[in-house]
Amino acid sequence: MMPALRNIVETARNYGAHAGGLLYERAGMLMVWQWLLLGLVPILIVLLYFLKLKRQPLQVPSTYLWHKSIEDLHVNSIWQRLRQSLLLYLQLLFIALVAWTLLRPTIQGKRLIGNRFIFLVDNSASMGATDVAPTRLDEAKKRAGELIDEMRTGDVAMLVSFCDGAKIEQSFSEDPRELRRRLDAIKQTDRSTSLAEALRVASGLANPGRSSNREDANDVQVAEAEPAQLFIFSDGKFPKVKDFSFGHLEPVYVIIGELEAANVAIGAFTTGRQEANPDQLQAFARLDNHGGEKVSVIAELSLNGELIDAKPIDIEPGDSTGVEYNPDNVETGVLKLSIDAKDALALDNTAWTTINLRRRGKVLFVTADDKPLEFALNTERVRELADVTQRTPDFLAQPDYRKLADGGGYDLVIYDRCRPEQMPQANTLFIGRLPLSDDWKAAEKVDVPQIIDVEQGHPLMQIVEMGNVLIVEGTPLFPPSGGTTLIETQAGAMFAIGPREGYEDAVLGFVIIDQNNFVGTNWPIMPSFPVFVLNVIEYLAGARASLDSGSVRPGQPVAWRADTPAERIQVKPPKDVPFEVSRGPLNTFNVTSTADVGVYEVRGGEQALGSFAVNLFDINESDVRPALELAVGDYKVEGKTSREPARRDLWKIVLLAALAVLLAEWYIYNRRVYV
Amino acid sequence: MITPTSDLLSPELLAQLERLELVSRKVFRGRMKGERRSKRKGQSVEFADFRNYSHGDDLRFIDWNSYARLDKLFLKLFFEEEDLHFYALIDASASMDFGDPTKLAYAKQLAASLAFIGLVRSDRVKIETIGQPARQSGPMWRGRRSLWRMLDYLEQISPGEPAPLAEGVKNFCLRNSGKGIVVLISDLMDKNGYTDALRYLMARQMDVYVIQVLSQEEIEPDVKGDLRLIDCEDEDMAEITVSAPLLKRYKQNLAAFVDGAREFCNRRGMSYILAKNQLPVDQLVSNYLRQRGLVR
Repeated sequence: MMPALRNIVETARNYGAHAGGLLYERAGMLMVWQWLLLGLVPILIVLLYFLKLKRQPLQVPSTYLWHKSIEDLHVNSIWQRLRQSLLLYLQLLFIALVAWTLLRPTIQGKRLIGNRFIFLVDNSASMGATDVAPTRLDEAKKRAGELIDEMRTGDVAMLVSFCDGAKIEQSFSEDPRELRRRLDAIKQTDRSTSLAEALRVASGLANPGRSSNREDANDVQVAEAEPAQLFIFSDGKFPKVKDFSFGHLEPVYVIIGELEAANVAIGAFTTGRQEANPDQLQAFARLDNHGGEKVSVIAELSLNGELIDAKPIDIEPGDSTGVEYNPDNVETGVLKLSIDAKDALALDNTAWTTINLRRRGKVLFVTADDKPLEFALNTERVRELADVTQRTPDFLAQPDYRKLADGGGYDLVIYDRCRPEQMPQANTLFIGRLPLSDDWKAAEKVDVPQIIDVEQGHPLMQIVEMGNVLIVEGTPLFPPSGGTTLIETQAGAMFAIGPREGYEDAVLGFVIIDQNNFVGTNWPIMPSFPVFVLNVIEYLAGARASLDSGSVRPGQPVAWRADTPAERIQVKPPKDVPFEVSRGPLNTFNVTSTADVGVYEVRGGEQALGSFAVNLFDINESDVRPALELAVGDYKVEGKTSREPARRDLWKIVLLAALAVLLAEWYIYNRRVYV
Repeated sequence: MITPTSDLLSPELLAQLERLELVSRKVFRGRMKGERRSKRKGQSVEFADFRNYSHGDDLRFIDWNSYARLDKLFLKLFFEEEDLHFYALIDASASMDFGDPTKLAYAKQLAASLAFIGLVRSDRVKIETIGQPARQSGPMWRGRRSLWRMLDYLEQISPGEPAPLAEGVKNFCLRNSGKGIVVLISDLMDKNGYTDALRYLMARQMDVYVIQVLSQEEIEPDVKGDLRLIDCEDEDMAEITVSAPLLKRYKQNLAAFVDGAREFCNRRGMSYILAKNQLPVDQLVSNYLRQRGLVR
């Protein structure tokens, strides 16, 4: 090989090595033939250079001094050779830079380690906070996207979004573009957060479960464990995840959000009737200040869009303040409470509650003869709330009863000292009998059980004073799991309520009047008895539920009870297009699409049936200060606030450098600048 | 008055040159009587000195008046006037055919100027080229009337004579035995060196002036890129890629070459003058050569 050629080849090799170090990162992007093609370019340049190097002949008087000069300079090492073909090197450098540009060079502090990645992106309500512009979710997507860009060939990644549930946006894929596309498609939700499901989804491949029985020592692992790096992009505002072990997952918690983010939230908003004046509506709200500074806000209450009251509220940092409104002459409509806080999360600055027309409950009272109860069910107040039909136990055997009971014709059936052969599709109150179910158990009858405790927190026992009530004899009850003891005596539960397939059965362990018309208790002569009956009507006959729909959180299903005979109702959500809901098996319309906060209007054909409201009312979501660590099982994952090393595109800079080299080459060639 | 229309000598230059004369630092015996006052005593109208009569002196030069007064014989001595040999040796090799004006043209003009001075002063003037065959002697001119012939002769000199410097000078010396002033006009760019040539001249005991003519292209090469330099004389090639160090090194070498020639000449009693082809001949003659004592 000619010395010059060897020199050039060596230098080209040096350039290659130099560029190679920088190119290495994206080396996997090119196929072998592409590399070969790229490798041909410098060779071509060298060849062209040699073709070009047909030196121009020039006659001179004497080459004597030139020979001497060349010989002198040849003594001077390799630098002279390098200078000799400076233009060639500049051209090679230019091509190297251009080739490098085409390879999309990037710089980064740290590479992704491993080749399996799982990106969990939180899209719960709190991720809509604007403390990091534009929103936390956008920031999370940006960070996740930066990591996706760092993936090399052979790396696979899974993308999961999670709020109150988890959704696999993209299962393990090698395609960064697809992952990017799916990532961009993740939408903000108004839902609360739960990491557990997302973790279970993520751990599926990394920690393959045993085939079935964890306790079985002989059970074997069904698949090879696939370790993966788990990136959680979240503000960490969710309950502690119990019973989960990362196993082969290597968690990285990327904190999204400002640590000092402040937010004022409406934590609760509900309506009720004044005890003294049931016609007077009251609205209660709780305002929470999730921030480090005292805030003053104006809480405005409007009915159907018209402002009816406004109150200035001061809230100490970290504290909550209640606010109460007494709007007059409100029969139906939508109450909206909004605060003018300039805070990170706007979602919880507005709350709604709806007041629907009272739907009269349908009550069947089955008794042989029970004057006190009959009397209590005949008060004016009860008649306002419900239609009470009184029948004798014979009625239970009739087809009419079966039809009505099974078809959801009643909201509440009161069985006084009797029991149906089949439980009705309705709430029930059993007096002196147990429901037809193995779940309910009873002990031996006891005489004069002493009431020692009353569960006044339960709607059935609210404002019911049992202090001087005497019971002649009673049967201690054992409610099914999930049930609640409402009246506790020294012998056991005398009044309890338990769930049954979406309905509730309340059981009184003692009778008001026994078969012989003897008084079983002195309760009926107490003022608390009619209150209790009213509570029963309000709670079990659904009269209260119809006053306001209570607080439904985003994503929670709403069981809409309607008198309408129609099989379908139309629901118009606050944002999306209306949809229809069919009557469910329990005679209710189960509305499950409640993802967005706001007011959902319900119509049955042409008739407006009312509306219900979906509110955030979630301290975890409203308190937007991100959690510094995640508690998962016994493991704590420290959060990282610093940016994950990001991939920064370099090609613009490299291209500029290439242009600079080109300019230098041009200048040197034309202006004879000798280096 | 002759007013030549040659390209070599313009009327202005001629007018300027007419006032000059060639000077030799050495004492030469002219063959013929010229217009030059010799350092020797001889026959002229200009009294120089007395000396005692010795036997055999020409009685015509005895100062009889002194003898009458002092009774001693004195001889009157007069300055001798004689002519001078002036040789111009022009290198007409191919390498002299470069530059604007070419080095050869410059050399011819310079030779013509000096020769004209000689002609005016009735010196014997001879112009030869290096490549001239050994046995073919050039014509000799004397007197102003010979100007035309001299210029004609000069015009006929064309570049491209293939002769090594040393051999050409040697031939010159063999042909011309007379003493006098010899002016070698060459670029001295001979691969075999110039020292042998100058030694021949020195050996002839002549008053030697070496005028090295270099063109601007040689002093400040205006070259770029990748070149194959071809020597015009021997077709020798040198491949270069022009770079700043190369040019610097070339200039260093040129300076060393010029200094070496100057040093060589000075040590051996020769006068060395570097003439760049951009310097007008009249300035060279009236300033540089005057300083060097070739003319006055």
